[in-house]
Amino acid sequence: MDGKVKEQKKHQKKHSGPKAEKKKLKNQGASTEDDERKRNPKAFAVQSAVRMAKTFHRAQDIKTKKHHIPLVDRTPLEPPPVVIVVVGPPKVGKSTLIRCLIKNFTRQKLGDICGPVTIVSGKKRRLTFVECSNDINTMIDLAKVADLVLMLIDASFGFEMETFEFLNICQVHGFPRIMGVLTHLDSFKNNKTLRKTKKNLKHRFWTEVYQGAKLFYLSGMVYGEYQTQEVKNLGRFISVMKFRPLVWQTSHPYVLVDRMEDLTDPEKVRTEPKCDRTVSLYGYLRGTYLKNKGQIHIPGVGDFQVSEVNFLPDPCPLPDAQKKRALNEKERLLYAPMAGVGGVVYDKDAVYIDLPANHVQLQQQDQVRPTTELVQSLMDTHAALDVKMAASKVSLFSHSAQLDQEEMEQETRDGDGPQEERVWDAHTQRERRKVVFSDKDQEDEEEGEDSEEEEEGSEEEEDSEEEEEEEEEDDQVSSFLKEARAKSDAGPTPAKKQRLEGGRGGTEGVEEVPAFADSEDDLEMSDEEEETGRGGDSGHCSEEEEESEEDGEEEGAAEEEPVESEEEEEQGALRWKEDLQEKAAAAFLRQQEAAPNLRKLVYGSVGEGTGTSQEEQEEELGGLFKVSRPQKSRKVTSDSLDCSHFRPDSSHDWDQEEMLNSIRDCFVTGKWEEAQDAATLLKEDEDLYGDFEDLETGETHTGQTQDQDQAQDTDEEEDEAEETVVRVDDDERQKNKRLEKKRRLKERFDAEYDDKDATYFDDLKEEMQKQAELNRTEFEDVDDETRVQYEGFRPGMYVRLEISSLPCEFVTNFDPHYPIILGGLGSSEGNVGYLQLRLKKHRWYSRILKTRDPLILSLGWRRFQTVPLYHIQDHNGRHRLLKYTPQHMHCGASIWGPITPQGTGFLALQSVSGIKANFRIAATGVILDLDKSVTVVKKLKLIGYPYKIFKNTCFIKGMFNTVLEVAKFEGAAIRTVSGVRGQIKKALSTPAGSYRATFEDRLLMSDIVFLRSWYPVTIPQLYNPVTSLLLPAGEKDTWSGMRTLGQLKHDLGVRNKPNTDSLYKPVVRSQRRFNRLHIPRELQKALPFKSKPKLQQAKGKTPRDLQRVTVIREPHDRKVAALLHALATVHNQKRKKASTAQHSKHKEFLKEKEKQEEAKLKRQKEAKKKLYRVMGQEEQKKSRSSLKGAPQDD
Amino acid sequence: MKSTNNNNMASHGLTYEGCNFFRQRLVLSTLSGKRVKIRSIRSKEDEPGLRDFEASFVRLLDKVTNGTKIEINQTGTVLFYQPGLLYGGSVEHDCSPQRSIGYYLEALLMLAPFMKNPLKATLRGVTNDPTDPTVDLLKLTALPLMKKFGIDGEGFEIKVVKRGMAPGGGGEVVFTCPVKRTLKPVQLTETGKIKRIRGMAYSVRVSPQMANRIVDSTRAVLNQFIPDIYIYTDHMKGANSGKSPGFGLTLVAETLDGFFLSAEMSSTPQGQGDPMLPEELGRNCAKMLLEEVHRGGCVDSANQSLALLLMTLGQQDVSKVLLGPLSPYTIEFLRHIRDFFQIMFKIEVQKPLEDERKGGDKVLMTCVGIGYSNLSKTLK
Repeated sequence: MDGKVKEQKKHQKKHSGPKAEKKKLKNQGASTEDDERKRNPKAFAVQSAVRMAKTFHRAQDIKTKKHHIPLVDRTPLEPPPVVIVVVGPPKVGKSTLIRCLIKNFTRQKLGDICGPVTIVSGKKRRLTFVECSNDINTMIDLAKVADLVLMLIDASFGFEMETFEFLNICQVHGFPRIMGVLTHLDSFKNNKTLRKTKKNLKHRFWTEVYQGAKLFYLSGMVYGEYQTQEVKNLGRFISVMKFRPLVWQTSHPYVLVDRMEDLTDPEKVRTEPKCDRTVSLYGYLRGTYLKNKGQIHIPGVGDFQVSEVNFLPDPCPLPDAQKKRALNEKERLLYAPMAGVGGVVYDKDAVYIDLPANHVQLQQQDQVRPTTELVQSLMDTHAALDVKMAASKVSLFSHSAQLDQEEMEQETRDGDGPQEERVWDAHTQRERRKVVFSDKDQEDEEEGEDSEEEEEGSEEEEDSEEEEEEEEEDDQVSSFLKEARAKSDAGPTPAKKQRLEGGRGGTEGVEEVPAFADSEDDLEMSDEEEETGRGGDSGHCSEEEEESEEDGEEEGAAEEEPVESEEEEEQGALRWKEDLQEKAAAAFLRQQEAAPNLRKLVYGSVGEGTGTSQEEQEEELGGLFKVSRPQKSRKVTSDSLDCSHFRPDSSHDWDQEEMLNSIRDCFVTGKWEEAQDAATLLKEDEDLYGDFEDLETGETHTGQTQDQDQAQDTDEEEDEAEETVVRVDDDERQKNKRLEKKRRLKERFDAEYDDKDATYFDDLKEEMQKQAELNRTEFEDVDDETRVQYEGFRPGMYVRLEISSLPCEFVTNFDPHYPIILGGLGSSEGNVGYLQLRLKKHRWYSRILKTRDPLILSLGWRRFQTVPLYHIQDHNGRHRLLKYTPQHMHCGASIWGPITPQGTGFLALQSVSGIKANFRIAATGVILDLDKSVTVVKKLKLIGYPYKIFKNTCFIKGMFNTVLEVAKFEGAAIRTVSGVRGQIKKALSTPAGSYRATFEDRLLMSDIVFLRSWYPVTIPQLYNPVTSLLLPAGEKDTWSGMRTLGQLKHDLGVRNKPNTDSLYKPVVRSQRRFNRLHIPRELQKALPFKSKPKLQQAKGKTPRDLQRVTVIREPHDRKVAALLHALATVHNQKRKKASTAQHSKHKEFLKEKEKQEEAKLKRQKEAKKKLYRVMGQEEQKKSRSSLKGAPQDD
Repeated sequence: MKSTNNNNMASHGLTYEGCNFFRQRLVLSTLSGKRVKIRSIRSKEDEPGLRDFEASFVRLLDKVTNGTKIEINQTGTVLFYQPGLLYGGSVEHDCSPQRSIGYYLEALLMLAPFMKNPLKATLRGVTNDPTDPTVDLLKLTALPLMKKFGIDGEGFEIKVVKRGMAPGGGGEVVFTCPVKRTLKPVQLTETGKIKRIRGMAYSVRVSPQMANRIVDSTRAVLNQFIPDIYIYTDHMKGANSGKSPGFGLTLVAETLDGFFLSAEMSSTPQGQGDPMLPEELGRNCAKMLLEEVHRGGCVDSANQSLALLLMTLGQQDVSKVLLGPLSPYTIEFLRHIRDFFQIMFKIEVQKPLEDERKGGDKVLMTCVGIGYSNLSKTLK
């Protein structure tokens, strides 16, 4: 480019001519004319009211069409990372793009993209990148969890089938945001073809997604990476993108697993390599709340019940709220355990150091290096970590001293950080088996929240699993109780414990209210009461309480007291003395009320199963201390009367006045609250509207507040010397009052003016907003442990799910390149039943689908093979079976499959294995109905032949085999092929199965009779989940299930032998001859002439002699005849005229007469009216006079 | 029926012992789709196994559902219940006279909104007896409560066609309910003051004067609080009067905010225990109403569990309801809800203020619904 730009010619204004004049006029004084409404009012006048109404309606229609049903906003405050799925055919640059984006956001390089990669991209957003391989299973699974899809397209090649397949999958499962990215643009040498290709691809992409969908261009590679600026731009787009909530995703919890640990006992695996595995899976919870112990589906594996869910600290947390624009280097986190990034990962009961063999990490090497040897050694030996740890001394870091397990535990106990705690917390199982009840264990019990949780969890497990073991344990428990009791007597334990508790109080910042009581029992009681009062952290506390109660009631009583008292001392000997009296009073009151902690009463201890162990333990204790517990009572009354009546409290005597008084205010006659009392409300109104001036009298009325204010003012002026505190208080009160008044005024104003155009829609929206607000605030101040129990696990939490019985192939054939999704199931979505679907063969699928050919469906979270039956609805609502799907039409389909809510979309494939050239999606559709019974029928024609024909009656054989069968069909309609209708009458004894039938006409022996019936078909109960994740690595895309009949025949080389009857043969029809119609003579006689057979010969020519002669007149005669004819015509004319005149005259006369009659009637009517009026008035008068005496009620 | 066929793919179902809270378990099982096994039903008693009324209840559930699998062992001490889909439609059922129709109706009220077709159930049997909530009570309290949850529409009613008293029965009740896809979350935290008391004194096969005597004695007690009392008398004759004589009273107190507190009493069934004077019955019933008022809350004690269930089955929003003290039945119901739906309620006790005269402690129950949607309703 040369630097000098050619100067453009400037615009020249016109100075003369019509244009210039027009402009001048406009500038001068056309302002009065410019308003068209003023200039031409007629044009804007109402021409037609109808038209106006029409335009108004149209405007309203358009307005309301824009509305969507308002939904309650349930997005979590701290949302989980956005799932970005990068899709595209192989070699299009998916991994490169992810690598570039990660480098752009975190400045870190990642080698192999294995599994999901989570990064922090900004102050409020985290991203999870997942690469989607070319396998259709993966594509289906990821389309269900994606928030954003980056669809890579090789511009040098154009669109590939996979792209369209993925788009179709997305359409079915809810459409996530899709952004296209064109790569390989540098292969175009010609600029024009480049532009053209871009345009073509863009428009095709738009038709598929939506008009104006974003398509990105990555122009070329620099050193194997995309250009920094372009990646940056793409990153910016991603980090500001908004997402639409998808129905399925927002109504189901799901986890995209980013970490997997096998927890199975290694010994068991060694002895029995094929045993079911216990696996813990980790990931961010998305979608909606997840309930503990819920059912989940893992696509590619199957349905499982979660044995335990915990939430863990976020491995990739958002930065703390700070006022700055960019993230600093520390906050740009990257978390991808499957790819080997993240180094050391913590679990609640173990630490994992994950190092894949091929990993090379430059940045983290420094941290990781010292541990590598350790890790390698750990990885080689397949022993449990903690077992190993107990035996050996290890050093975690090269600089630190060697530690053994005890020391480590000591460390944890001192409570430097939650991480260490989690690492070395002992299993409960082990603890339980060890009979020694050391103080260490006791401490463990009260250590941290996490340890508590875990204990309970495993206790629950035990409860459910091993009932027999419980009995054994009881003995153990009793023995260790004794030991414990002995220890508590010994002395040193409490002191130690106290120190611990103090330390904990310091670190956790829990303010323990020093309890005051005069006896042991009181203390216990007050402690319980406190829990009730605090509410917020009551969950945790009650747990602890319960634990101690459970393990040994007397132990708790004996031991807790010194602990607490000593704690008090530590907290400060003086402090507890401070408000001694009040506390005493409070304790007394609490005791008096003795309200049970309802939560504990209802649910037992928090998160604890109402298992048998507890009950049996109770019984163990029963000899000494009887604990009255609902569980206990329930056990006793397990067979009692099932009745919802709540018997009244016998202590209430409703004859006594004080009892009656206690509910006085429940009635409208009782005392009202300040804010609702009619008197106060009235007064307030007066305050508001009190000031007014009576214009007639000129009097001014002032509101009371004014007076009060003034009085107050004067008062205040007078009493300067009064205490300032009181005045401030008073001021405050006044101010509040004024504010309140203002608010009320504004409310009224709003109500008056806003409500006019507030619509139903606005109200609904407001209601939803209120609900959303309530949802947010209700559990805001409850701590997570308790909150999780009320709500379930919130989306956005990092959770760990433990699943106890996964097939071993899941672990042995684990390949991190394939995504693992845990899809939560709704309440009855774990069941199977019959589903009715609406289905349409995909228009790009080349073949039609056959009934009873197995089909692979992707529905909800699941992928499964099933056998569909296609049907169509007849006009009378009957579902008629179809042999094949129609070509370009929807049809119904019935399958045996998982119960899924109606309206859920699905897609069907014929096979998921291999990559075929053509389009793989066979059909799409939606679920219509769930039912446990099927109503699909197929047509069945039973054929019979007449063997004897009377007039209209026939004997028919060959349709049925027995008399009983005929009896079933008595009265059924039958038909011949030629269309003669008839009815089955009665069975005949011989031959068996023959019957008598009547027809509307006489049959021929050659007729075939058939009975059309509908036969209900049964749907094969095949539900075969696609277990693609269990296949060995490298073969995961080769899953094949049941084969279709055609495939089987093809594979086995079986050829169909057609029925010879079905083959087409040339039709040979002999000419039919009919005999002449013969009518008996007698009948002929009776027939009317018209119908009589005409026996006469046709008339011939009349013979000449019979013909008459023609007459030819003379000229004179002709004249005479003409004259006569003329005269006759004239006469006729005259007569006609006269008669018309006569007619009209008569008509007039009749009209006149009618008029007179009418007038007469009118007169008569009027007279009658007058008469009746008079009569009516008289009657009214009479009735009024009679009512006068009676009382008036209104 | 195929017993080996397991319709649920992941869950192992729930197991309980004993016949107590039989209805709760089966109803919640039907709603949640989880199967249930109840073991050792009256196994230690002289007459082991299910009673007639329980068997009848199971049969009723079978009628309103489709695809339910029920297995009972030979002695009737073990019941296995695998729920099907709620079907609804027109159902006729002869209830066992051992329990009143209220026993069956309570369960139907919980299930009816979630059917495939609108339910029209004709139940025959005992309409009024002292043990169960009577049909009249449910009509007066449960229906308005359900309306708060958005279960409303044409043909939502309970009609007492014939009245049948306790031992003999012979009553007939028609319950119709429309179908709902989802429920509304509710915030019922303010009870409001009681503005009127209504009631119905009924008598069958005894002197019509009985009802009037009940009314008089009841008014005597309640007039101390509020003048707006109206108690209808309902004397049924002939074919509509069932097989046994008896009388009774149902009282309902309506608050300004549209909540209903109720109490009821029926005469002791003929030939069982001491007969009761109508005056005494009226007085006692009025006192029971006062007791109910003392308990307070937005839902009366008989319908607590219904309200809690409807809260649980709501959208994934916070619902709140103020109750009186929880009845043992409700407490067990809460436990069962946790078993079947993994839902726990936040339970807060609201103590009355010093100078308030509004009865005893109230309980504020808060929960987040599970987002239940009626799976059986056909999509059109």
